Amino acid sequence: MRNKRGWFAFPYVIWMALFVVIPIVIMAVYAFTATDSATNAAQATLDNFTGMGLYLSVFLRSFWLAILATLVCLLIGYPVSYWMAKEGPRFQRLAMALIMLPMWMNFLLRTYSWMSILENNGLLNQFFRAVGLLDLLGVDHIQMIGTSGAVVLGMVYNYLPFMILPIYSVIVKLDGSLIEAARDLGADSARVFRKVIFPLSLPGILSGVTMVFVPSVSTFAISNLLGGGKQTMLGDLIELQFLGGAYNPHLGAAISMVMMVVVVVCMVVMNHFGEGEEQAVIM
Amino acid sequence: MKKQSRFGGRLFIGLTFLFLYLPIFLLIVFSFNAGDSSAVWKGFSLEWYSALFHNRLIMESLYTTLLVSLLATAVATAAGTFAAIGLYSLSKRRRDALLVVNDIPMMNADIVTGVSLCLFFVAFFQGWGAFAQWLNEQGWLPFQLPVRLTLGFATMLLAHIAFNIPYVILNVAPKLRQMDKNLVDAAQDLGCTWMQAFWKVILPEIKPGIVSGALIAFTMSIDDFVISYFTAGSATSTLAMRIYSMTKKRITPEVNAVSTLLFLSVLALLVLNNVREIRQERRADRQEVREPSFFERLSMRLSQPSWRWVRRGGLAAAACAFVAVVALLTGATWSQPVVNVCSWGEYIDEDLIIQFEEETGTRVNYQTAESNEALYSLLKSGGADYDVIVPSDYMISQLIEEGMLEELDYSQIPNFELIDRRFRNLPYDPENKYTVPYTWGTLGIIYNANMVDEEPTTWGALYDDRYAGNVLLINNSRDALAAALFHLGYSVNTTDEAQIREAFELVADANRRGVFQGKVMDQVFQKMEGGNAAIATYYAGDYLSMADNQAEGVDLRFVIPEEGGNWFVDAMCVLKDAPHYDDAMEWINFIASTKANLANMDYIWYASPNKEALEQYPAYYEEEYGEELDPELYQIMAAPADVLERCEMYTVLPPETRALYNELWIQLGT
Repeated sequence: MRNKRGWFAFPYVIWMALFVVIPIVIMAVYAFTATDSATNAAQATLDNFTGMGLYLSVFLRSFWLAILATLVCLLIGYPVSYWMAKEGPRFQRLAMALIMLPMWMNFLLRTYSWMSILENNGLLNQFFRAVGLLDLLGVDHIQMIGTSGAVVLGMVYNYLPFMILPIYSVIVKLDGSLIEAARDLGADSARVFRKVIFPLSLPGILSGVTMVFVPSVSTFAISNLLGGGKQTMLGDLIELQFLGGAYNPHLGAAISMVMMVVVVVCMVVMNHFGEGEEQAVIM
Repeated sequence: MKKQSRFGGRLFIGLTFLFLYLPIFLLIVFSFNAGDSSAVWKGFSLEWYSALFHNRLIMESLYTTLLVSLLATAVATAAGTFAAIGLYSLSKRRRDALLVVNDIPMMNADIVTGVSLCLFFVAFFQGWGAFAQWLNEQGWLPFQLPVRLTLGFATMLLAHIAFNIPYVILNVAPKLRQMDKNLVDAAQDLGCTWMQAFWKVILPEIKPGIVSGALIAFTMSIDDFVISYFTAGSATSTLAMRIYSMTKKRITPEVNAVSTLLFLSVLALLVLNNVREIRQERRADRQEVREPSFFERLSMRLSQPSWRWVRRGGLAAAACAFVAVVALLTGATWSQPVVNVCSWGEYIDEDLIIQFEEETGTRVNYQTAESNEALYSLLKSGGADYDVIVPSDYMISQLIEEGMLEELDYSQIPNFELIDRRFRNLPYDPENKYTVPYTWGTLGIIYNANMVDEEPTTWGALYDDRYAGNVLLINNSRDALAAALFHLGYSVNTTDEAQIREAFELVADANRRGVFQGKVMDQVFQKMEGGNAAIATYYAGDYLSMADNQAEGVDLRFVIPEEGGNWFVDAMCVLKDAPHYDDAMEWINFIASTKANLANMDYIWYASPNKEALEQYPAYYEEEYGEELDPELYQIMAAPADVLERCEMYTVLPPETRALYNELWIQLGT
């Protein structure tokens, strides 16, 4: 019987080979080839990688902004999850629903809303003008749109739920008797947090960090809309090579490959700290 | 003390929710705005809601979004559950290895998944093309296989299923792990077939996992933009893709309206669900024994064996309902025949599309691209399924050179005779075999007179520190470098690397000094209209449309600097192997008519190449609006001969120069 059901997995193995493994292989093939402009034939080459030094600053900026956004998400998301888990079940359910709810509104819409808030003549500057802050500072407006701050804000705003959900789902399942035991053994609340709660919520944190960092480092719509096209990030660079103004899928594939490898290495290193804990699942 | 800490926590949670909901709240508020701005309140109105239901592009993209999400969720849930059961009957080692592969789409950045799937589909299409052609030539099949496949709804659906399945597995797997393995054995020992055991034992056990997996899959599908963007090609767009293309120009509050409706319907569902759960809880608290509700009695009844046929009927009815909804959505999305048109954002009077459809019964699938270069990328990547495109002069030469355009059948386009001789046989198409001009115009400087000290009469104003942070750089390499080349006194068509590098240095230096607020294309509209920037390079026709929409305290002007400017022609062409060639001819002929040109001129403010329309426009304007057309505006729209003489047309650059442009352009962002 056991073996019989094992066949159930077979179609999915083929599916994964087709839609997960082969696409990545094809991407790798693209990354290691280039089209000769004269003959229009593909040739094996490493140029796509060697020429990437030009984009080092884009790599650095992407990783820096993504790390920043992830940290901010963690600093907001952890306390929210922690305090949420202490509330009654009704509050928790409502709060969970409220956290999920914005995700049904496409993230581009939410980002667009921030655009109208942050513009030089946008709602926030209008507000500052009305309360006289701009006169006080003697400026016409405070530049917010087109800065890296706006990009980080957009990332935090869009990906915060991905940090809260896994952390919350771990904290809420914590065994209360462990905390009691620690208290009984004389630990104060700071110590309980440091020695019991925090280590036990680590899988949630790792999962949350992954779920915020990966989309942040690769975003292109957010940096485009809030960064004013000046804060070029990896996602923009890749998009530019495929559907944007500079058609070169080989370079785009190479950049994607490098990004994928770097992200995977980061994740592996980080999950090492999780000591094989089961990854937390949202919901 | 305990109370206090709880208060602090609640305050923090409250502030976080404020942060999460404030933008959404503003979005909703501005859906009721009487004006079309999303920053200036002009009074309450419901006009955008009624406009929404008449906006076919948005409604279609909404249907597409719902359709792809529903289908992908249904398929992924079934397949994922099936796969999870299979995985859990494998040995641990094999299972873990497979689960690693399963995790890849979730761990990977969306853009990597999107890109790799896009490349995969394109590679498959190429292989298929060769195979189908070979098979057709053999004549073994009684019908011809389609040779040319393109990205579209099907590929997008496959991509959605591919990224949804892992989430379903991830949610079903824990439930399978928790399930007592002996249960199935016990059921079978008691005489169940395996199928019975599955329906009666396994399914009820893992149902919560399936439900939450389906829910997450649906959420991911609805929220997705990046993967759809790379796999949907040109012919279909989801709501997110539609919005993305709109954020580049002017987002109409119709988008606010549609998102408000979506948001409120989900909110209502959530509230209902919460109320129901709270009620149940209260009952449980009170240990109340209550009468089973109607539904509970029904389900008890249904679970009796004698009611099996009803149960099956109900299941069949539910399946039918699902199919019906899908069919309805499909019907709303596609109806033959179609002609696929790709143009620029806000580059047509949309009433013309409706008129054409009513006259001919052919549906127009109208898409937009951001720039000539982006259009070229889209065509090259195999993602485009267009019949008619409207590129500019230099891009047309490039497309002709690369054999990507089909010759037009001018016998089907009698209105070509109406095109002014000035706009025929231009250098990009010397024998006029491929093109029918759509519009023409000039590129110059648009400035807000209230934000500059003096009229910027030279291109140098773009690099002037006085306007630091207030200059918008045009986001395409050709136009941006053209301005610098003009300023340096070089030809815009130069292939001299030193000259191009010098021009680039001018732009890059200004960029380093922080002169530019951003690189924009269609976003220039909202920036200039709202007084968010002082100077921009853009097209004359768009200037007129901006001036028409400018906010209070903004005074927009247009000037072609003394060093000269660029003049261009955008023309309609048909792609090689266009699937709807005859419909495309019909469309081109319709658009070339005087009536359509007048309507277009009035709507998009670009000059028409149709001689009659160009001459009649001032009279048309007077009739329409009851006032005379300002001759100055008319001159900006249709530049007189002496201005055109100062302007240079772009010609196609050789591949090395194009590569140099690309390389430099990317450097600018780094």
